[in-house]
Amino acid sequence: MEQTIAPSEMLLHLGPQHAIQPGPYLLDLKLRGETVVDAELEMGYIHKGIEKILENKTYFQGITITDRICYLAALTNNEVFCNCVEKLVGIEPPQRAQYIRVIMEELSRIQSHLLGIGEFSTDLGFVTMFLYMIREREEVLSLIDMVTGSRITHSYLRFGGVREDLPEDFAERAMSVLNEIKKKLDEHEDLYNTDKIYLQRTVGVGVLTAKIASDLGVSGPPLRAAGVAFDIRKNEPYLVYNDLDFKVCTEKEGDIFARIKVRLDEIRESIYIIEQAFDQIPQGPLFPVGTPYGRRTPVMRVPAGEVFCRVEDPRGEMGMYMISDGSDKPYRVKIRGPVFPTMQALPPLIKGTYVADVAAIAASMDGCTSEADR
Amino acid sequence: MDANNIIKSLTEKFPNEILEPSVESNIRISSYVDKDAIVNVCKHLLETFEFDHLSCECGVDYPDRNEIEVVYHIASYSHPVVLTLKAKLNRDTPEIESIVSLYWNANWYERETYELYGVKYINHPDLKPLLLPEDMLGDWPLRKDYEGFPNKTAKNLV
Repeated sequence: MEQTIAPSEMLLHLGPQHAIQPGPYLLDLKLRGETVVDAELEMGYIHKGIEKILENKTYFQGITITDRICYLAALTNNEVFCNCVEKLVGIEPPQRAQYIRVIMEELSRIQSHLLGIGEFSTDLGFVTMFLYMIREREEVLSLIDMVTGSRITHSYLRFGGVREDLPEDFAERAMSVLNEIKKKLDEHEDLYNTDKIYLQRTVGVGVLTAKIASDLGVSGPPLRAAGVAFDIRKNEPYLVYNDLDFKVCTEKEGDIFARIKVRLDEIRESIYIIEQAFDQIPQGPLFPVGTPYGRRTPVMRVPAGEVFCRVEDPRGEMGMYMISDGSDKPYRVKIRGPVFPTMQALPPLIKGTYVADVAAIAASMDGCTSEADR
Repeated sequence: MDANNIIKSLTEKFPNEILEPSVESNIRISSYVDKDAIVNVCKHLLETFEFDHLSCECGVDYPDRNEIEVVYHIASYSHPVVLTLKAKLNRDTPEIESIVSLYWNANWYERETYELYGVKYINHPDLKPLLLPEDMLGDWPLRKDYEGFPNKTAKNLV
């Protein structure tokens, strides 16, 4: 961004600490009147060096570190890390473990979307909705807590399986909570659809067309809201997603309203997936039989090689590139988070909009600075 | 979209630039590429096979071979094939042409690789540090010989 400003222009720093932000980043806005003419995003305020840390930890210790990339998507981050190691070692989790992983990851998607929508609503001044969403999310977190023993950083996945089996009456308890959420969600969506102020602030604002979105490299709900049906669960199925029936939720408009609609639809779709998974889940072991892999496999040498894995995170395409040199620590781990391109696409997206809409647009992308900075 | 077809077409079009191609599975291809040809190869991929999504770009340090590899993971929104392209650079003066003109989102990946590995991207629109503070430029913290913060090998050690 040009730092020189004309007499009629003004430079506004949004951040690094600001109430609308999911984490610290600096958004420099150049304003002419109320219009944003130029924008630049600066980040790195919570760079933790996770890629370097992973190089210095054993594979087993790495599971705990991957939780900390983004606490809202801890399970999918675990999944992509374990997936890489499993492919390098050449093992596959047994059916029951795969179903448990699907159930937990979909629960994680539901809680992430609920918080995403809630946070977005606060930024619009729709605080009622935030409280509703948090109430629902807490129920889902309690479900995850029942299985994993913790609310947000679970370290639940293991190479070749999962740490704990589901508790006995988990299916009934989960379905009663999820059915309740499904009912509430219809009410909440009604509230969104009938609120005049909400509609004025979201319909036709921050439009990201399919062409621009794919040029900018965006993935996840912002891309699907523009009409591109790109979902790793369908494009490149992992776990047992091939055996489950679900549709990729898309909208055409690509504005803020569509992005929130896609997230609401995806929550319903996730509930549907979990329902099927509970019906189909077989009995059996949690780890591949006849291998040394189990709940505690502290030291493990991984054959030399490299692999690139992708899974569908609540926010989009989560990829990991892992190189092993045959020792007990990875040689190189590159984390390709979904938020990194989303944050990158923010300045072009807010150019030409009103400054009052910046908060709404930024929040509707559901960014997570922690994951982008790593 | 078939992995073998893609490799065949690439090796026919660029016989000297595409080296050691290998098909790992029907959705994963990997190959070395001559560093001077990266822009042309990417352009061909973009126009012929709809590889319209740069999934990831990163560096890998190999001090034993005195090389830094830049790794591109090029994917698509319409098919599941991911192509891994690797370009070998000299570790002392790592330089490669930027692909921002083809893939807009390469911009930040290249800035990140620049600050962490010291890879200089030619024709990059705005090559400056992304995550690290400016005074850490020149430490290249993700190289294997980096000794922690504050860097014992740093030039500005007080």
